[in-house]
Amino acid sequence: MTIFHFFNCAILTFGPHAVYYSATPLSEYDTIGTSIRAAVVYLITALVKLVCLATFLNVSESDSFDPYQELLKALIGFIDVAGLYFALTQLAHRNISQNHKFQAVGLGWAFADSVLHRLAPLWVGARGLEFTWDYILQGLEANANLVLSISLAALGSLMWLRKNKPKTLIPIIYACAGIVATMPSITSYLRQGLGWHFPKVVGFELFTSLVMAFISWQLFAACQRPSN
Amino acid sequence: MAKSQSPVLVEPVYSSVIALLIIVMACVELCDAVTVVDVYRLVQYDLAGVPFGSRLAALNHHAGSSLFSSSAAGGAVTDLSRTVLILPVRELNLTFIREYIGQKKPLGGLLLLLPQVFNPQNVDSGGGSDHDSATKVIKEVLVELEKLLLHANIPYPVYFGFEDDHVNAVLADIKKNDATGQPATATTGGYKLVVAAPEPKKIASPAIANIQGWLPGLKADGDSNQLPTIAVVASYDTFGAAPALSVGSDSNGSGVVALLEIARLFSVLYSSAKTRGRYNLLFVLTSGGPYNYNGTHKWLRSLDQRLRETIDYAICLNSIGSSNNDLWIHVSKPPDNVYIKQIFEGFSSVSEELGLKVGLKHKKINISNPRVAWEHEQFSRLRVTAATLSELAVAPDFLESTGGLSDSRYFVDEASISRSVKLVAESLARHIYGQEGKSIDIFADNSSLSLNPSYIRSWLQFLSTTPRVAPFLSKNDPLIMALKKELADHTVEVSLQQEVLDGMFTFYDSISSRLHIYQVASVTFDLLLLLVLGSYLITLFCFLIITTRGLDDLISLFRRPTSRKVKTA
Repeated sequence: MTIFHFFNCAILTFGPHAVYYSATPLSEYDTIGTSIRAAVVYLITALVKLVCLATFLNVSESDSFDPYQELLKALIGFIDVAGLYFALTQLAHRNISQNHKFQAVGLGWAFADSVLHRLAPLWVGARGLEFTWDYILQGLEANANLVLSISLAALGSLMWLRKNKPKTLIPIIYACAGIVATMPSITSYLRQGLGWHFPKVVGFELFTSLVMAFISWQLFAACQRPSN
Repeated sequence: MAKSQSPVLVEPVYSSVIALLIIVMACVELCDAVTVVDVYRLVQYDLAGVPFGSRLAALNHHAGSSLFSSSAAGGAVTDLSRTVLILPVRELNLTFIREYIGQKKPLGGLLLLLPQVFNPQNVDSGGGSDHDSATKVIKEVLVELEKLLLHANIPYPVYFGFEDDHVNAVLADIKKNDATGQPATATTGGYKLVVAAPEPKKIASPAIANIQGWLPGLKADGDSNQLPTIAVVASYDTFGAAPALSVGSDSNGSGVVALLEIARLFSVLYSSAKTRGRYNLLFVLTSGGPYNYNGTHKWLRSLDQRLRETIDYAICLNSIGSSNNDLWIHVSKPPDNVYIKQIFEGFSSVSEELGLKVGLKHKKINISNPRVAWEHEQFSRLRVTAATLSELAVAPDFLESTGGLSDSRYFVDEASISRSVKLVAESLARHIYGQEGKSIDIFADNSSLSLNPSYIRSWLQFLSTTPRVAPFLSKNDPLIMALKKELADHTVEVSLQQEVLDGMFTFYDSISSRLHIYQVASVTFDLLLLLVLGSYLITLFCFLIITTRGLDDLISLFRRPTSRKVKTA
């Protein structure tokens, strides 16, 4: 029964990644290599971030929200963007369209994040006898994270890979990318600064991720038009 | 409980703390998500081979809140055999539970919730005279319950816990479930109570330790005779339904405290040659009290014959901490015996000054009966004059008034202990210094020989938080060491005598453990969740195909999804 629950939570956490891969043209073009490389880049980025966090951040005894520390944390969070930049631009991808590249990279990125941050708690926690909604919410959060990662990758590919984009859209693209990149800090603020409960935070994340995904989709489509 | 944990769990969301740290967090989260409470198991023992008490320790069943669901089910076989009943003692129906245990009906387990007043760790529930009647009623219920449980053979685990916010919340939830007619089973969810305990093991040769200390009197020059000895004796160990909760503040913590204070007072007197009396004083803390004063018996047997004959008389202190003004001197020799008369008169003259009432009770010893109800009877059996000072008017039955569940600090009054100490010390001193019948106050307040209330209080506090069931005390238990050291501070030639408890009793370990209360989801919930998740993934799949491939190929938009859909379904 508890294994059953673990299974359910795992489906919710990792299922969308698999579905995304198999349902979109990613599977047809065999982009799994790109995804894996993105995941590896994610791991390295996470390591670098950990080192930075350990070096620059004080360990706070209390759970309170410290603006300075959070700012620092947000800055360190931008290492993610650097990692994503590396994954998008520096990795060699053979015959893969830009359109698919960012999806593959975003997918690999989100999957690595899920495995790294959610698999272990799931394995330890969801198999326990105690029932909580936490692991289901965590799974939903993984979904939101997938959407956000792909949005960020899309915006990144717009910023760094597309040369001829409409001038008027550039500030919007950068603003959106900034918002998406600072989402971790925003949710952290909501949780600790405003004391939101987990379900509310997850709801917010799902909502914003969908909104950001829609905006970036529109931006992507808008950028594609003049080039055609 | 889950809510407070959510920050810990969300922590990994975006912050890039690596997996190892997360695992640690998850473990912390796992431990805290469930309610964990300390529970204390009903004692398990064999008496001459006959099993008594709770015979199991491990527990893993759903929680229920009342016995009545069984009667509601009528004659049908009840499934209470897989249910742990949580019963607060506050609202316990004694006749019902007596019937239930008497008829040996099956049960998964029993968790009895005691009010916090009875928690030994609840230090600030200091004794006083402001006992409300409700607590007294609970105390009486507890006495009855303890008697019932101690003399029953119960084939399932029985645990005692304490009411607190967590447990009360869980209980309220369970009651609500039961009220709606949905008893918790594997398919409807609810709470699961788990105690992971190994099979209880027999305790090999339970030991008892007696501690004695001397205050030697002053011999007159050229006197070759041995000085007479007065012994002050108190048994310090306890026995009760839950060994880990048997602190016995009154029986016999009060006696031990009084003995230590008397030893302290006389050590002051005996420290100067001028005031040293012509009596040796012997202080003995005996073990094995609940088991017919087995320790006293062993100690007396091991005592040198000549030494034993020098004992003029022995005063045993037993249960003197309750706040009434009546005390009894129990003797086994007829009251017109000259020694008894002398002791009684000494006590009653002092008691009048203290505003106490002391009565004399005579109970003959039946040598053929193995039951020894009072400690002095062990002395009397060896023809040593002895008396027991106690607030109990009648001799307790076997394994009763031995400091069980109900004997908490809350019902013990320091002032009564002080009064009893004064009574014993004063009458002893008058006897030693030949001041009988005179109205002098040797241990007057505010003198250098006055009683020390804070000493009494601190020792009472210590004993009231320390369970002292002899078989569960190790050889060098801190308690025994503390008593020995304290006696050594006041007396000389302190010795510790280790004996083995006579073989009638066999005890089993695992007296306390931790109860995990899990909130569990039902299988149907998980099935439903799986259904929802499956449809979510299928919808997502279709949506993604429609959107992404639609951009690539308009024709495949309508053809492919249908074929894929069939595949996944």
